[in-house]
Amino acid sequence: MSIVQGIGYLLIGFLAAAIIGMFAHWFDRKITAKVQWRVGPPFFQPLYDLVKLLAKEVIVPEGASRFLFLSAPLFGLAAVSVVSALLIRTVIFPQQTFIGDLIVVIYLLTIPSQAVILGAFASANPLASLGGSREMKLILSYELPFVLAILVPVIKAGDTIRLGAILEHQATHGAVIASISGVIAFVISLICMQAKLAKVPFDVPEAETEIMGGAYIEYSGAALGLFKLTQWMMMFVVPFFLMMLFIGAVNWRQSWLNIVWAGIIYIGILLFMTLVRNTNPRLRIDQIMKFFWAKITPIAVVAVILAFLGL
Amino acid sequence: MADEVVEGLKTKFGDAIKDVYEKSRRRTYITVDPARLPDIAEYCYKDLGCRLQICTGMHLEHGFEILYHFAMDRADRIINLRVILDLEKPSIESIARRVPAAEWIEREMWELLGIEFRNHPDMRHLLLTDDWLEGNYPLRRDWKDWRGGEHDTSE
Amino acid sequence: MSLKIKALTKSIWVFHLAASPCNNCDIEILDLLTPRFDVERFGIQLVGSVRHADAILVTGSMNRKARERLKRVIAQAAKPCFVIAIGNCACSMEMFGKSYNQMECLDNVAEVDAYIAGCPPKPEAMIQGVVALIQAQLAALKKK
Repeated sequence: MSIVQGIGYLLIGFLAAAIIGMFAHWFDRKITAKVQWRVGPPFFQPLYDLVKLLAKEVIVPEGASRFLFLSAPLFGLAAVSVVSALLIRTVIFPQQTFIGDLIVVIYLLTIPSQAVILGAFASANPLASLGGSREMKLILSYELPFVLAILVPVIKAGDTIRLGAILEHQATHGAVIASISGVIAFVISLICMQAKLAKVPFDVPEAETEIMGGAYIEYSGAALGLFKLTQWMMMFVVPFFLMMLFIGAVNWRQSWLNIVWAGIIYIGILLFMTLVRNTNPRLRIDQIMKFFWAKITPIAVVAVILAFLGL
Repeated sequence: MADEVVEGLKTKFGDAIKDVYEKSRRRTYITVDPARLPDIAEYCYKDLGCRLQICTGMHLEHGFEILYHFAMDRADRIINLRVILDLEKPSIESIARRVPAAEWIEREMWELLGIEFRNHPDMRHLLLTDDWLEGNYPLRRDWKDWRGGEHDTSE
Repeated sequence: MSLKIKALTKSIWVFHLAASPCNNCDIEILDLLTPRFDVERFGIQLVGSVRHADAILVTGSMNRKARERLKRVIAQAAKPCFVIAIGNCACSMEMFGKSYNQMECLDNVAEVDAYIAGCPPKPEAMIQGVVALIQAQLAALKKK
């Protein structure tokens, strides 16, 4: 694959994730409004927000480390764009993926949260460090069950860590979700996705000090805009990733209807995320850790064992 | 329970209680000697189990009057302890070390009325700025507006 | 430049700054942000940090102690940022003008872009004020 092709894929990945991510953000706000019996923002509201943020002044606080403060949003944005490009290329050419790209995707998906932590500690603000430390604790809670849940499709597709192979296996043998371990693993991965995207009830790092803004308190202008764009792009990339692993419905070579089907499932996942967000209060960080370590991780382990047993 | 409280106070503190005025079933004004007030306040707070609601200070013609409002919630009653302080140099022992709730209200009474509270743990401005002119107490009857004049150091 | 102001008028993030109010205006601002009036359809959102804000809603007559803090907080906002004075106290100190703890009016400390009078102003009045501000900004653009 040449450099030009690579840059092309990156651009396609970035644009697709940005556009669909903005739609996902609007969808989330609109459904929240409907649940609260009100009208909600117009369709292009995320675009207005982004353009406005890009045009505002970027203030770097005096005691902050300038380079880290300004470059932290870029790390997250770059990671999400690469993941998006990788996933889109996998869907189009399932044979041309490389062994171990699953691990690369899992690794890159942790980078946006780390960029938030970097940015939080680079702003010289005690409230931001509080938000950053809470984000660290959150990552420690949900990453293990997330990886365990991803282990289930890996086992079911015959112990392969190539994304393309998992897709092809599902095309011939049926989706991973059509089995007990698959259902359990999918539900667990949805809950971990809620924490990864930092949505209520797990948005404690970015919102506990929402009285003040948490990890983003010192950010303004284009830097804040890039952070928000990264959040929106994650709202497209992570559900897409989970859909590929568990449902395998984006196999467009079989028939064009699969793309419509994939769109419907994606909207369903967004709906689940929004409704959970609207009906739950925010949890404290110690409650979150207890929840993930005492309740979710054992269930994930059970799912992996069931997958081993072939169920 | 109506007179039990007053009788108890009279037997314990004797001649420190100068006057008792029962305004209604729920409110009793008891004028006390300023020197014995901290002991009486501590007795109300610890032994009677009252809750200090607030203190009010006033600059009257015959002196500075402070009212300490203690609420007996379970008896549905408020006991007001009244002290009259000297007009020239109003000064009383602070009760903040015994009744912690009094700390901030005594700060406010000092900065607005100029009543000196001896042995207060943390006497500084509460509502006014730290560069307020010393000795200038806004709620006194003879307050002179110093703002904009020669003593005003703010910009 | 015009795109900047156009986007700003379609997505205003407000920050609520209470400079020693009686809290009546603050309650009305809270009412404004509830689902009944639904200002999110205009793109208005409440943000927690002043650096994220496009409009600072100042309530209360600014007394001596609040004045220093208010100057610092308004300086921390990312430009361009509107300052909107809500309630009679913020517009003109109302009856507290001669009080011992008052120094000067909000105008002398910050550049106010919109005044919304009332004690307290109704949420409908606040919406009207914000709309007037947006229209004034767009009209100023057209003149250039």
